[in-house]
Amino acid sequence: MRYRARHTTRYDYGDTTPVSHHLVHLTPRPHPRQRCGANRITLTPAPATRSDSVDFFGNPVTYVAVEEPHRWVEIHAETDIEVAPPLPLDPAATPPWQEVREAARRPGPEVPQFLFDSIFVKTSIELTAFAEPSFPANRPVAESALDLMSRIHRDFTFDPTATTIATPLAEVLTTRRGVCQDFAHLMIGALRGLGLPARYVSGYLRTLPPPGQPRLVGADVSHAWMSVWCGGNVWLDLCPTNDKPADADYITLAWGRDYDDVSPVRGVFLGSGAQALSVQVDVEVIE
Amino acid sequence: MAERWDEARRLLRQHGVTYNIYGDPQGMERPWPLDMIPLLVPAEEWSGLEAALTQRSRLLNAVLADVYGPQELLRAGLLPAGVLHADPGFRRPLHGAAVPEGLFLHFHGVDLARGPDGRWRVFSDRTQAPSGAGYALENRVVVSRVLPDSFRHCRAERLVPFFNVFRRTLFDLAPLAPDQPRVVLLTPGPYNETYFEHAYLARQLGVAMVEGGDLTIRDRRVYLKTLGGLEPVDVILRRQDDDFCDPLELRHDSALGVAGLVQAVKAGTVAVANALGSGILESPAYQAYLPAVARHLLGEALKLPGLDTWWCGDAAALAHVLANLDRVVIRPAFAALGRDPVDGATLDGGARAAWIERLKRQPWNWVAQERLAPSTAPAWQENRLSPRPLVWRVFLAASRGGYVAMPGGLTRFADQPGRPDISMQKGSGSKDTWVLSPRCLEGRTLIRSTAGETVTGRRTGEPRAVSSDLPSRVADGLFWLGRYGERSEMGLRLLRGAFTRLTDGTTPGAMEELGPILRLMAWIGMIPLDFTHDGDTGASAGRALRLALQAAAFDPDHPNGLRANVLRLHRVAHGVRDRLSLDLWRVISQIDRQSAAPRARPDDAATLERLDDLIVSLAALAGLEQESIVRGPGWRFLDIGRRLERAVNTIGSMRRLRVADADDRDDAALSATLEVLLELGESFMTYRGRYLTTVQRVPVLELLLTDESNPRAVAFQLSSLAGHLAALPLPPAGGGESPTSTALHLIGSARALLRRPDAVRHGPALRQTLDTLADTLPETSNLLAHAYFSHAFVRSA
Repeated sequence: MRYRARHTTRYDYGDTTPVSHHLVHLTPRPHPRQRCGANRITLTPAPATRSDSVDFFGNPVTYVAVEEPHRWVEIHAETDIEVAPPLPLDPAATPPWQEVREAARRPGPEVPQFLFDSIFVKTSIELTAFAEPSFPANRPVAESALDLMSRIHRDFTFDPTATTIATPLAEVLTTRRGVCQDFAHLMIGALRGLGLPARYVSGYLRTLPPPGQPRLVGADVSHAWMSVWCGGNVWLDLCPTNDKPADADYITLAWGRDYDDVSPVRGVFLGSGAQALSVQVDVEVIE
Repeated sequence: MAERWDEARRLLRQHGVTYNIYGDPQGMERPWPLDMIPLLVPAEEWSGLEAALTQRSRLLNAVLADVYGPQELLRAGLLPAGVLHADPGFRRPLHGAAVPEGLFLHFHGVDLARGPDGRWRVFSDRTQAPSGAGYALENRVVVSRVLPDSFRHCRAERLVPFFNVFRRTLFDLAPLAPDQPRVVLLTPGPYNETYFEHAYLARQLGVAMVEGGDLTIRDRRVYLKTLGGLEPVDVILRRQDDDFCDPLELRHDSALGVAGLVQAVKAGTVAVANALGSGILESPAYQAYLPAVARHLLGEALKLPGLDTWWCGDAAALAHVLANLDRVVIRPAFAALGRDPVDGATLDGGARAAWIERLKRQPWNWVAQERLAPSTAPAWQENRLSPRPLVWRVFLAASRGGYVAMPGGLTRFADQPGRPDISMQKGSGSKDTWVLSPRCLEGRTLIRSTAGETVTGRRTGEPRAVSSDLPSRVADGLFWLGRYGERSEMGLRLLRGAFTRLTDGTTPGAMEELGPILRLMAWIGMIPLDFTHDGDTGASAGRALRLALQAAAFDPDHPNGLRANVLRLHRVAHGVRDRLSLDLWRVISQIDRQSAAPRARPDDAATLERLDDLIVSLAALAGLEQESIVRGPGWRFLDIGRRLERAVNTIGSMRRLRVADADDRDDAALSATLEVLLELGESFMTYRGRYLTTVQRVPVLELLLTDESNPRAVAFQLSSLAGHLAALPLPPAGGGESPTSTALHLIGSARALLRRPDAVRHGPALRQTLDTLADTLPETSNLLAHAYFSHAFVRSA
């Protein structure tokens, strides 16, 4: 499937700021199922400084700074990208989850880094207890993870008014309400509590569904889901918000331990004004 | 012995050596606890230690280079991934960033303790921003003054060459190698526990002390915001933790730090010492792996043993720890977890079970270490010698020729004989540490000045000017130092005036003069308005008034009281301490002590005595402001603050006492008012000397308002302000008339008003002048704030 994604973020600072800095994760990372075409990131007003690099997790990251007095900033990203559907995976054929847990402890820096608490994902006894019914002894890891995903989808209500990015997982677990970031963080925390590596994926969903199918939740904003390690080189992308494995409707931008590692746009400005943020995402199928 | 100890404490207080205790508002500025008996280290013992310690610094630098680079140690299994990845202190944005000279660890602190076998062992490493070297130097200064004979006799190695080496290293680090590198010391500010040391080190190293808000990033380069605009910064010696260094990339829920600093580091335009992210090696978990890592990275055996250590993230280590829980001390693996160590032997039933559960649930967060009771050394406590367990912190600095160890260091001892954990936060004491020199130093002067050892710029001894950049924050601090100094003086003169009249009510005019004084005190909110109503002068009213005046003088919670203003004075002085001379700081400390609430309520006479002492101290402050500060922009802001405050107070007093109004008062009341104004303006003698007559309105007002030769007159303040404003650098703001010119214009108009021939003779004209000035002066203050210190602070999105 080929897409053109447009992503606009606007900050209104309420007052003049002499300088603002932004860290942007809006260029799709290298990914076995994705081929990235043109990708353009533009800023208004034009930035005085721009620097592109690759972060610790292998995601492209762009630093930009506006260094003249300004009252607002608009960051626009336009990306052409082709996404292939995932290879079929038989959940029943994946290794038992305890085996995966043991394998995750072997030396090497890549996989174990997704085992530990991070800023937005704090494991807890309660979170692990929530996960446990999906993880009876020797159940294949993918089966268990799919079951956990479905339970999150069933037990939790999508509610953009319930949480902010600062809402702790413990509260999401109690109120059972939240948005895609919360559900992804929750599922990551549940898996890490059991000793299974899990990472956070930031990206987009196609805006208009194929004919005859319902429009997915999170289609007109940037979306987030998660990925669980199933041993070897296998990572399984699961979307608890829509209760489905990520398929060719899902465009991956970046992954990390949680939102903090890969937030699409992060900004810091010099000034005392209040700021307003608005985000618009549009993902159109081209062909 | 006891006498010398007292002398040492006096010196420490005079030098202003203090230590802040977190979470203890009354404990700001706790006196530095120094024991006068030094720890002695023989030369042969030192040379072995020196080799082992420099090896350790080399090793830790190599470990940092690996984990922030190729991560071979993780791949080879020499370091478990969890030690790094479970640590919230691992700074992924810095991974792969090249650092100048391959140096991550520029300044290293190692805590050593002696075991029962007498051998030194490593307790812990300080690799982020090790504190204590400045205190060590100050301890040396004090002890060598108190014990000069024994000092010479014992031939202790000097500490100063070490600081010179470190200074050289810092200046050599400048990545772009300009002719005059700008090096700054980044401090979290006056509320940090070791702020004293930051100011001390900045002064010793000859670098500017800055806070995060003083720096800004343009085009991936660090700049210092000065009054004259942005100046590039080449090297940052940081005493600020990683967390608070860059809100964009290191911790975006923090508003502290310098947004974009990580980008500047990655662009290679600035060197940060120690490198951002170097704090990870403070985790005790590394101790378990260092022997093998040393063999791998250096091809050497680790020379100095650490404590036996088990990182519980390793399954075998966890099993060992659970089986030997009562033989180990459990510590958090990572500083970010912020928990105190727990001795496994002290855990009983329930607590023990809870710990076992905790260790099993997140084993990677915990480290167990053997319990080592540090050996003791004698300390002088309560007039006798008493054995105290001690820990010695040694400092190492990178230099062109490798790491150099400071021959000495900071020795701390527990405040109780049996206590194993030693920390300044928990009230331990400190000692000077003498590494005995094998060379003969007889006959050489070890102490060069009253400040003892002094760091000079270069080996040739050529002194170097301390950076003259004035950060806007410092200008702001100096401005308020001036204002609070003058404001304290005003409150003090009122209090003294009131207590004088109360003590000796028989002096002619005393009671009439009390009225205007109380009205002014009520006007500035020092006492309730009730006391300004005439009439009730009974005994109970007198008692209530005395209580209100005592509160206005000494109650720290009285928002407009003298004590509150002195505390503000002290706080702003604290914030610009590196700009103040030692004597000026001593006077400020003295004002702080003299204005503290007395233990028992003093009688009027005793209160008066205290107030008189305070007047002298505040006068000393005003005097030193003139005599001990170089006439740069910093001094101008200080003096602007004082002049503005004095003019505002005088104008306000005159308006409040209605000097411009037509006379509905009898002669006695008017002359009482004028007497009070003369007293507050400290111009009584001048008046008597000049006019040789009773007080009359016109000459009094001329003396206090229009006489440019009287340093207390409003005209004098305005003339000084005009001079300062004209000499200030133009603020970096763009477009339109600068606020400085506007302020200058305002002051010019005000001076013209005062120069009118009828300025003080004609009631309505006088009233208009006072009203105009009452608007102009605050406006001037606002304009300056806007132009120079509008503190743009960082917000994160």
